[in-house]
Amino acid sequence: MTNPLVEFYSFMTFFAGLRESETTLTIELESKPMPPLLRALTVATVLGFAATLYLGLFAAGTDIQQGDIQRIFYIHMPSFFGAFTAFGLTVLGGVLALARDSDKWDKIALAGVEVGFAFALINLLTGAIWARPIWNTWWTWDPRLTSAAVMCLTYAAYLMLRAGIEDANRRRAFMSVYGIFAFVTVLITLFIIRIVPETIHPVIVGASPQNAQGSFEATSGVILALVPSMVLWLTLMPITLIWHRYRLEERREGLDRLKLKALSD
Amino acid sequence: MKTSYVETVLAIIGKDLRIELRSRELISVMAVFALLSILVFSFALELDRAAREEVVGGVLWVTLIFASLLGLNRSLAQEYDQGNLDALLLTPTPRSAIFIGKFAGNALFTGLVGLLLLPLMTALYGMNLLDGRLIATALVGVFGFCAVGTLLATMTAQTRAREALLPIAMLPLALPFLLTAVRATKGILTGAAEWQVWFQLLAGITVIYFVLCLLLYGYVVEE
Amino acid sequence: MMTRRLRIISAILVALLALSGAAAQESETTVPYVQARGFNAPVLEGWANQSTDENAQFHYAEAKATIRVTIVAADDPLAAAQAELAEWLGAEVGPPVFSDKVNLADGTWQVFIFDIDAATTASVMARRQEAQVIVISFVETSPEARTVMLTLAQTDDSLDAATPEIARALTELADFNISQLQAVGTVALPSGDWHVHERPGLSAMGMIFGNDSYIALQEGALADLAPLADAWNRTLLGFFVTPDNSGYLALGLAAAFIILGLLILSYFWRARSMRQDLALLNALAEEDD
Repeated sequence: MTNPLVEFYSFMTFFAGLRESETTLTIELESKPMPPLLRALTVATVLGFAATLYLGLFAAGTDIQQGDIQRIFYIHMPSFFGAFTAFGLTVLGGVLALARDSDKWDKIALAGVEVGFAFALINLLTGAIWARPIWNTWWTWDPRLTSAAVMCLTYAAYLMLRAGIEDANRRRAFMSVYGIFAFVTVLITLFIIRIVPETIHPVIVGASPQNAQGSFEATSGVILALVPSMVLWLTLMPITLIWHRYRLEERREGLDRLKLKALSD
Repeated sequence: MKTSYVETVLAIIGKDLRIELRSRELISVMAVFALLSILVFSFALELDRAAREEVVGGVLWVTLIFASLLGLNRSLAQEYDQGNLDALLLTPTPRSAIFIGKFAGNALFTGLVGLLLLPLMTALYGMNLLDGRLIATALVGVFGFCAVGTLLATMTAQTRAREALLPIAMLPLALPFLLTAVRATKGILTGAAEWQVWFQLLAGITVIYFVLCLLLYGYVVEE
Repeated sequence: MMTRRLRIISAILVALLALSGAAAQESETTVPYVQARGFNAPVLEGWANQSTDENAQFHYAEAKATIRVTIVAADDPLAAAQAELAEWLGAEVGPPVFSDKVNLADGTWQVFIFDIDAATTASVMARRQEAQVIVISFVETSPEARTVMLTLAQTDDSLDAATPEIARALTELADFNISQLQAVGTVALPSGDWHVHERPGLSAMGMIFGNDSYIALQEGALADLAPLADAWNRTLLGFFVTPDNSGYLALGLAAAFIILGLLILSYFWRARSMRQDLALLNALAEEDD
């Protein structure tokens, strides 16, 4: 515990009540201590995020055609892939929750949707903010933008639908099924450039469509800043956030059980 | 005596058809809604000939999807409200047979509405929609989104805010059908050769969704 | 079994890394621009590159010609052009002997010709952008010749040659009539096909690009005019200002941080409200006892 970041983090979690206080309570919420792996992941994520921000904002050169706004790309594209991982975990969680009647995987699926939804929102917003100076509009009904928005709405629908189902078993089954289906919108967003060629959205890896506007050359400087950011958002960011969210959900369930017990006493 | 899989499916379809023949509730509501929607669109869009070619596919498919939402809601809600589904689940009926039975009924009604819309729009919009390829596209598209619709309506029928939740849950998932079907329709109407690509994509998505629905339906009816 | 699989996976990873490294190497192209103070000017091949961080500057010794691009803080393009030339050349710059306006793709440019002294002639294009003026100048310091570069709006767009504009430049700048020159056909340069008119001691070249005529005049016999005209044209068409949109970058970063922050804060909020619920349960339990 010599690392100041770890110290700070454990202080924050203690402060916010993620960890048990030392005072004795008559009713205790059984809470597992934070696994060392999660601690390490959290520190690695924070440090990695800072490092990729440094690479994207300072180390990489300014794009001479687009100006500074091109740097938003080092968040824009990775955030989509972060959402991809998170929603992919939702599919995995859904399949395993159905196959094993497992509440644990259902919680992972829910955590995946929440984290993925936040990432997808970041993707949409940074895209709109980039489009304003480059395409001269915040939003256009381009096929890829439309499908990305529909993807966001699908997962918003997931959260609404989930809130509307009270029975826990029914909720687990329904939301697992919905989570599997919803992933189709993620795949469409990913591949729509290949399906509907008249998009103006640029492709960085591979050839851009003919009428793409605002593409830029993937020079080694761009790749140097992009690859670490992609790796971070594909792996550490979603996994760490989902894990924390999962633990929160576990605690919430424990609390619900205690409430029920208190009511029945 | 053991009933075969096909007999079970046919029995469920037959039950839905009998209910419908007696009450004429579903198909009349869907048809009136579709007719109104077509009229509203033609007033709201004030289309000239060139613009019509562009949007007629969209009008057709949006109308069909909304009409099917109405039908799906009622069809599944009635199963739960009258305890039909619970009774069915007590019997050793394969869950996929229940799905195919309910799905077939819904697809049949929506398909009928679709077949009604085509000559109607031909008359109202002054362009020939009675094309074999277009009817095939319509049938495949209806087949696909009714499969997803039946699955989702089964889910939402068991929730409190069922009427509100079905469109929210279904419209995003129906988008792949809307996208490909509208493009295939437009291709057929404008005589572009690429309609085949869209039709194949539509058929592919329909098969994937249908298989997924078949596999997953058991989980959404089980208690 | 496990170690073998791991080995295969790590081999694939290493191969992928090597591939992306190779791809990065391959896409590394030398950007043919000089970058200075937020603007970019194409590097002129065959010219000596004298650029600094402040401005882009190229020198062509054979013709004693220099092309220089700079941005100065000023409001008035004429004053800015005069001040810039005076500072650079260390000479007094009087009123221009020719001035005009032309609309190019990136805005309205002022066109000036200054005769600074017997040897030196400066052709300047200046455009105001916010509180700055972009000054692109062509200066020729040879006593044997007077070389002038002009960009003029096309007066007759049915023509594909810049003849009327050459005629105007000739009469206004050199007291000549175009009929006294002989059309010697076209010369193909990287920038396009230029029509050349000549007589001993005077040559004029012109090219149409878009709705504008690009013209080069030279009185006196010096080096070939073609590379000068081509370089000037390349500089004008290739020059661009990198947009300053760091405000949007800040906005985008703020959006990303706010959403991430809200997600993480919501974890803390939810945990806190759970603690409060737990405390309430405890209070109730104590009351019961």
